[in-house]
Amino acid sequence: MSSLQELFTRRVVLMTGKGGVGRSSLTAALATQAQRKGVRVLICDIGDDPNDYSPLARHFGRDRFTAAPTLVAPGIHGVVLLARSGQELFLKSVLRSGTLARAALSSDALRRLLSAGPSFKEMGVFFQLLTLLRAKLPSGEPEHSLVLIDMPATGHTLSLTGLPELLLRLVPRGPIAAALREGQSYLNDPKLGAAWVVAIPETLPVSECLELLEGLQKTGMPTGGVLMNRVPVDPFSAAERSALQSPLERINPLGAEGFRRPVLARREIARLRAGTKLPIIELPELAHGAALISGLADVLEKEGRTS
Amino acid sequence: MTNELVRIGELIRNRRVIVCCGAGGVGKTTTAAALSLAAARAGRRVLVLTIDPSKRLAETLGVSRNPPTPVAVPPDRQIAAGIHAPASLDAWMLDPKLVADESVRRLTKTPEDAERVLSNRIYQQVSSMVAGMHEYTAMEALHRLVNEGRYDLVVLDTPPSRHALDFLEAPRRLSGLVDSSALQAFLPKRDSLMARAASKVIEKILGAVFGEEFAHELVAFMMTFSGIFSALNVDVNAMRTFLSGPDVAFLLVTSPAPATLAEAHFFQDKTKELGLPFRGFVLNRSRARNTSKRWPDETSLEDLPAEAKAALPRLQVMAQGELDAAKRDLSLLTELEQRAGTSATAIAVPELPEGADDMLTLLTIADALAAS
Ligand SMILES: Nc1ncnc2c1ncn2[C@@H]1O[C@H](COP(=O)(O)OP(=O)(O)O)[C@@H](O)[C@H]1O
Ligand SMILES: Nc1ncnc2c1ncn2[C@@H]1O[C@H](COP(=O)(O)OP(=O)(O)O)[C@@H](O)[C@H]1O
Ligand SMILES: [Mg+2]
Ligand SMILES: [Mg+2]
Repeated sequence: MSSLQELFTRRVVLMTGKGGVGRSSLTAALATQAQRKGVRVLICDIGDDPNDYSPLARHFGRDRFTAAPTLVAPGIHGVVLLARSGQELFLKSVLRSGTLARAALSSDALRRLLSAGPSFKEMGVFFQLLTLLRAKLPSGEPEHSLVLIDMPATGHTLSLTGLPELLLRLVPRGPIAAALREGQSYLNDPKLGAAWVVAIPETLPVSECLELLEGLQKTGMPTGGVLMNRVPVDPFSAAERSALQSPLERINPLGAEGFRRPVLARREIARLRAGTKLPIIELPELAHGAALISGLADVLEKEGRTS
Repeated sequence: MTNELVRIGELIRNRRVIVCCGAGGVGKTTTAAALSLAAARAGRRVLVLTIDPSKRLAETLGVSRNPPTPVAVPPDRQIAAGIHAPASLDAWMLDPKLVADESVRRLTKTPEDAERVLSNRIYQQVSSMVAGMHEYTAMEALHRLVNEGRYDLVVLDTPPSRHALDFLEAPRRLSGLVDSSALQAFLPKRDSLMARAASKVIEKILGAVFGEEFAHELVAFMMTFSGIFSALNVDVNAMRTFLSGPDVAFLLVTSPAPATLAEAHFFQDKTKELGLPFRGFVLNRSRARNTSKRWPDETSLEDLPAEAKAALPRLQVMAQGELDAAKRDLSLLTELEQRAGTSATAIAVPELPEGADDMLTLLTIADALAAS
């Protein structure tokens, strides 16, 4: 099975990478592709504020997702993971007494603690994710067979994947520890969880991609591979390149930059290959616009058969 | 509409604080570094304060990452960059954990108190992961350094966040937690029957959530902490007031993307709402300069080999693509200029094909900013 086909057999996949490289677009494209394969897919956004607009939701014609999964396209559910909703779910689950839970949720002091306390935000997101992974259909099958998460910045990804180890050192017993261990059983099992790093073929993004892969490994998060996005299509043959090279350097006209770009991209992809054994899947630079997501999904479909 | 009133070249010469905001990856750190180089070249004593250090930037400036206090850019590099005494350039790439330790030492009454906090197991684990700590430490450091008067200008590079101004809210949340009234609720009460009953409920909740053992430890930790950090709240408000003043300029760094205008709009509204002095947009990685380039005329390509000639139509497609991008970015800049109005400005920084991490390119950007 190709590494991309494997992606669709996981329970939870984190789409991570530096800002602006195409995480949201590829999350949407993978969801489209998963749906075409008949996978029940849930796409998640991680939000700070329930009123934030979401670039991921934009791809599905809405400003944002809600805290409960909703159908956003045929066969695709969307949800926003919010620290607040996860914390509420958690409090309700551990404070079995209804009175206590209500007291907790209405306590101003507790609310402040949860909004600023150590890693409590990540914990909330983590717990909401866990709840979604646990959800079962009446048939006993998971309600969302694939949970795809559009992760925010790199730092957030590592705080989430590193959360269980960090908190377990502090709180080795009790309900938090139990939830963390259960979450680890999904995230850190290479058959169930994977992080995919989205990158673009430029110098710094590739360096950061290598750093992120190292960071993920340190937190025990299995990695599926790299989605190398926006690879410029090279329309020139080797002979044309060598013939054009020096006149273009001399005149440096319009188009010379576009001429050089594929070479720079190849150099960076080679550097990434030298730095990791993981599969690297290339996605071309496509035209902006309404067809971007379906175009990316088509490429993913083709790639899935080969790489 | 061009702007006569606000110019970046002026801001770097007469403000005391410039805050660079923006989403991740747009070039905030690069812009902050270029602005600080430009100001130091113009004769000022400058500090660039960054929370999100890029390894290469540290190497370029020749400073270590995460020192406990600001460090001077090595003298030879300052001279090479055209910075001459009494002007100077310091850089500080903040490590929240180190700065938190510093704050504890400063805010505690005795060294023994400081030790008690610093050696606390919970403190050690959480001091770098408390939400808002990063942002708080940056604000705190900024406030202190500006007041000390060691620098004429501090350029603040804010951490990446979806919403450019998140870093202003985070310290408030943190101070909301540690201000005495919130913490008191967690502490065991001895006074009234009512208070004791209420704190019993909280104790029960904490016990159920964290487990009895850890809940006790947590309460003990908060008791140690409550006295020490009561000063926090005051700082946050003082800081806000300072940031609203005439010595400060907020800039939004963006790069050309479909969402750029929406983000610009949001940022401008938000700064207005918060009463912060918004002074301009920096459109980084702009491809607009390409309009000055031309597709070569027939004569200059006459002596090309035949196979290269066959490739020319494809090269022309690329040229057209660059021209289109240039037009798009130019009109984006015009829209940003219009949006900026008379109290702010908009400036484009060109996309540099090899990145912007070495001193030479940073200086190129610095000069462009200074001349604007
Ligand atoms: N393969 C591609 N070809 C062309 N444009 C792309 C491609 N992938 C992403 N983009 C564009 O890049 C920008 C950033 O993409 P986005 O998915 O929002 O990134 P992220 O979520 O990582 O911040 C968007 O404007 C998107 O349309
Ligand atoms: N004008 C530019 N042209 C080319 N590359 C740039 C430009 N500005 C920034 N970069 C590069 O983009 C990357 C991200 O820039 P950085 O300043 O670290 O962004 P941020 O701080 O907003 O995350 C760096 O590798 C930097 O060299
Ligand atoms: Mg995104
Ligand atoms: Mg930065």
